Amino acid sequence: MHIVVCTKYTPDSEAKMSVDEAGNVSWGDSPLIINPWDEYSVEEALLLRDEYGGTVTVISMGPEEALEALKHAVAMGADEAIRIWDDACEGSDTLATSYVLAKAIEKMGDVDLVLCGKSAIDAQTWQTGVALATRLNYPSLMYTINIAALDPDGGSITVERLLEQGRQVVEAPLPAVVGTIKGINEPRYTSFIGIRKAAKMEYPLWTLEDADADPEKVGPSGSGVRWPEVFEPPVREGEAEIIEGETVEEEAEVLVEKLLAEKVI
Amino acid sequence: MDFSWTEEQRLWRRAVRDFAQNEIAPRVREIDTEERIPREIVEGMAEMGLLAPTVGEEYGGVGADWMMATIAAEELGRADISLAVPVLYLVEAAWGFIFYRYGSDRLREEYLPRVTQGEAFLGIATTEPGGGSDILGACRTRAEEAGDEWKFNGEKTYISGVRESLDWGGIHLMLARTEPDEKAGHKAFTFFAMPLKGTEGITPTFFEDMGRMGISTGGFALDDVRLPADHQVGEFNRGFYHAMEGFSAARTLIGATCVGAAEATLGIGMDQIKMREAFGRPIASFEGIQFPLADLYTDLEGTRLSTYKAAWTMDQKYKHEEATHHDIALAAAMAKLKAPVLGFKVMNEVADWFGAMAYTKECPVEMGIRGIRSYSIGAEGTPNIMRLIIARELLGQEFLPTLYMEKA
Repeated sequence: MHIVVCTKYTPDSEAKMSVDEAGNVSWGDSPLIINPWDEYSVEEALLLRDEYGGTVTVISMGPEEALEALKHAVAMGADEAIRIWDDACEGSDTLATSYVLAKAIEKMGDVDLVLCGKSAIDAQTWQTGVALATRLNYPSLMYTINIAALDPDGGSITVERLLEQGRQVVEAPLPAVVGTIKGINEPRYTSFIGIRKAAKMEYPLWTLEDADADPEKVGPSGSGVRWPEVFEPPVREGEAEIIEGETVEEEAEVLVEKLLAEKVI
Repeated sequence: MDFSWTEEQRLWRRAVRDFAQNEIAPRVREIDTEERIPREIVEGMAEMGLLAPTVGEEYGGVGADWMMATIAAEELGRADISLAVPVLYLVEAAWGFIFYRYGSDRLREEYLPRVTQGEAFLGIATTEPGGGSDILGACRTRAEEAGDEWKFNGEKTYISGVRESLDWGGIHLMLARTEPDEKAGHKAFTFFAMPLKGTEGITPTFFEDMGRMGISTGGFALDDVRLPADHQVGEFNRGFYHAMEGFSAARTLIGATCVGAAEATLGIGMDQIKMREAFGRPIASFEGIQFPLADLYTDLEGTRLSTYKAAWTMDQKYKHEEATHHDIALAAAMAKLKAPVLGFKVMNEVADWFGAMAYTKECPVEMGIRGIRSYSIGAEGTPNIMRLIIARELLGQEFLPTLYMEKA
């Protein structure tokens, strides 16, 4: 079975974002990490590979920094990793990114299952996975919290999706795109042996031409989103009050009265 | 001269930091109170390759070099400022290396895969009731050949991991006198792999420690203990030299782990002084706070560099044969001389920044102060022994004070 995991790099979740006057977003000198939601996808792919056999290929569209995500996935245990980039990719939104990823997956040809995180912690659009499935014309199984059954030979997958209404069990033909969420597994830490492999491995770079992708459909020309203005959200104004009392019970009583007065409870 | 890390080193530091900050750091108070390292932490360390990492892959190790082993030591100290997990780590990394290098095939096969999986403990036992650093004078435990076995009588004390070895199984590398003739000097001792669990004639003792509570300290008496011949580790009557090799390795890791714990404590302290106000301003704005901080940070960075230089020197020796045991002994002694004492000083200073809170268990610093003290009091040699080694390497053997004591 050939499982492809789509991943991207993001700033560390503790990074302090800022926007300068020209609208450029910066995360300072924060380290780059694999998008934390993608770690669940990588872990799930490794578990499936270990159970059913096959290989796990991780792909990422991005500049050299994207290697951070690929290296992390390889250190976790992924077999292959491909970076896709071309200068024309700069400024791609989810529409364009999903196009490039879909073209690369189509080019690979033998893909049985595609996994991705439900979203990325930087832009939080939640769109790339769904768009990717649509472009590939694969079933889109987002918000998956459990892969209940997989039959690579029969070509079917059954997943549990965690929706606002509850859990939905869905069966779909393979290949499919599965979007993982927290709780599906506990991603492993990268090990010494994995890191040694990740540090030594060659990471092939695919250009748009390698992926048979049309440069017109990527970057700003392939994107639907425009950025007329980027600014920092205004600082929220509010007042803080520290409740004082002789005992905890007394403090609790004051708090309850205030909440009642504000009609919060 | 290049101070940058390789890609492998950078990724390894990040991985160990991730693991240690997520899985160990939140549980340090629990480790200190419960006086044990939780099983999940030991298993997690095994999965990452953090148990006896210097052992080769054929025995379940990862074949880490000393730079990689030292990076991990620093990160484990940074996460566990009580410095208990680092004892488990560094004892197994250093003495596992010696056992891997000099142990018999059968015993390596028996123990190393279990040690690297966290299912057996591997420790070091040289100190005796009569002393530790002065092996010549203090090591009275005898090993005698009895048919095709060895027979041991004596006592070892202030040994890390006695409880762990009894619970999990495993071995302590134990030094014993094998040459009764005093004139044999240092060529009178041999190393043995001593399993404590289930071995007839072993009577363990335990101490209640002041700090680094997560790992036990104890001792054991040996009364006609018998072991098969293949429990000899390394060459006959060369045990002292094998011990010195292991000590240099452990001293380097001690340097790194103390630097890590000190840096972490300094970080906690810096957060505190920026936040805490006195006389209408943050106490970080007072020179009385700033200048000690600057001095300590500078000393810490210097010690960190000298520790990594020691690790580098060890790799020069073991990977490239381009350094000698003397180079290693000198570099490791300097790291070990500085780091635990400086670490203690850092923690003591940071405690002052917290005021009375630092004297309570509300604040983690007290765990650090109690824990790091063990690394300078003993743990592979006192500061004065480090000075002795450094001076010996600078002046030559002929000026060793012990020579003059013998002459007198």
